[in-house]
Amino acid sequence: MVFVQLLINGLIAGAIYALIASGFSLVYSTCKFINFAHGSVIAFSAYMLYFFFSMLGINFGFSVLFSIILASLLGYLMNVLIYRQFRKRKAGSSILLIASFALLILFESLLLMFFGADIRTIGYIKVVKGISLFGAVVTPLQLIIIFTAIITFFGLYFFMKKSKIGKAMRAVSDNKDVAEIVGISSERIYSWSFGLSSFIAGITGVLIGLEQNLEPVMGTAVIIKGFIAAIIGGIGNVYGAVIGGLLLGLTENFGVWYFPSGYKDAIAFVILFLFLIFRPNGILGIKKGGDKQ
Amino acid sequence: MIEAYLIHLLILIGIYFILAISLQVSLGFTGLLNLGHVAFYAIGAYTSALLILNGFPFWFSFLMAGVLAMIAGLILALPIRKLKGDYLALATMGFTYVVYAIIINWSELTNGPLGLPNINKPSLFGFSFASNLSFLILVVIITAITSFIVYKIVKSPFGKVLESIRDDELASQSLGKNTFKMKSFALAISAFFAGIAGSLYAHYVTYIDPTSFTIVQLIPVLAIIIIGGLASLKGTLAATVILVLIPELLRFIGLSSSIVGPARQIIYALILLLIMLYKPKGLYGKVELD
Repeated sequence: MVFVQLLINGLIAGAIYALIASGFSLVYSTCKFINFAHGSVIAFSAYMLYFFFSMLGINFGFSVLFSIILASLLGYLMNVLIYRQFRKRKAGSSILLIASFALLILFESLLLMFFGADIRTIGYIKVVKGISLFGAVVTPLQLIIIFTAIITFFGLYFFMKKSKIGKAMRAVSDNKDVAEIVGISSERIYSWSFGLSSFIAGITGVLIGLEQNLEPVMGTAVIIKGFIAAIIGGIGNVYGAVIGGLLLGLTENFGVWYFPSGYKDAIAFVILFLFLIFRPNGILGIKKGGDKQ
Repeated sequence: MIEAYLIHLLILIGIYFILAISLQVSLGFTGLLNLGHVAFYAIGAYTSALLILNGFPFWFSFLMAGVLAMIAGLILALPIRKLKGDYLALATMGFTYVVYAIIINWSELTNGPLGLPNINKPSLFGFSFASNLSFLILVVIITAITSFIVYKIVKSPFGKVLESIRDDELASQSLGKNTFKMKSFALAISAFFAGIAGSLYAHYVTYIDPTSFTIVQLIPVLAIIIIGGLASLKGTLAATVILVLIPELLRFIGLSSSIVGPARQIIYALILLLIMLYKPKGLYGKVELD
């Protein structure tokens, strides 16, 4: 029975990691740089839900909607107002990476300034006795997380495969110059990537906000798990991010079977270093990322 | 009163300067996108504090802070020596979290989140550096020695090889240079001086806890070396003075202390963004990150 419980816990943690990593990888696949500020958008969304629902007392559905819309807008504006200015000046991926790191710290400090260092809870879904499933206990919130994640992944899959924008994104991701020759504006695709990835970040932020406590440093905490999952799956590969996230969630939770639970994070880093040494391109990565700037 | 304040600022400038030029060795001169610098700083601070608290003399604790950080640098170099760019940045950043997690979780050794109080002020040959003025003299001497050694290293043939790795690693390899070994050495030297800076910090503030060694602490150091200019020692000094002094202005406009902390980080982050946008080579830099 412990096995089933750990499996379910792992899947739920994994679903969250997969959501974080898929948005992060989406931007990496088209824009080709590490966007640490993806974590800020997730933290921002969670705090907005707290602001609208717990502080202003707005209806829960509207609060969720506002949070996701504002998060998408934040990501979109970050790209237009900041990253685009860097690209205009021909900044390389290292500069963009440091810029995104500066943004992550900037937003963390802003959250700290406006909401204080205290831990906040949204408390919409009361702690209830979980339902029994194959001998394991699952709370309704955990079921919501799993279903939302599955719907998001299918939505993302069909968007990337079927829609015109999704196809253009994959084209830019494969080869930006060739995509521009056939008339795809790469700047427009970058905007779409940021909008879509931040929309997913908005959903992720809401789910994390409901499941955990809010703290200003949560943006950094989530993006670490996100990039570890992304590296496991093959960075820049959106489907790989889903596999990587699930694998990370499962390993962490099964690891607790053998190690004290304080070492959960350490397990994640051991996996990160193992992948970096033996398979830097991840499970699904085909690009020679480990040898490329 | 004003003298004590000035001495405090000068000590901070000294410690940040050592931290920044040590990062210049790995990031500025060798081009390694090293985001793990705070980890070496933390290793230095904890090593020095724990040794002196267990009765070892200051000079030994101080040197071991550097040596242990250097060993950590060599160990980290093994898995990451073949990584570049984004991957290197993620791996070194991950290393910062590994060290942070160890400090938090290994309570028997590090006292966990509560931190280590009552760290002794340094004393050498019977002379105690307990007053801030004498501590400043110690910091100035160590800063001078560090600058001299770093200057000699980067001007030496070895330093030139490091710069060639930054500019074109493949070309450097084709001239028969063992670039993996060189990069490992660069990381180790960089870590050694970060450890020294950590030791000075621990003995200066006499109390350390894990919150002083989060990834956030990397922002001011990164800002210093990018504002000063990569691979420029003169620029690093100028930028250290500017960046330590700017947030002090916040004190004079009467912000509450709970706002000052985040406001400092906001200022550093904004300066970093603006300088990379409008003057990516910094004040005296010759090279740009790619």
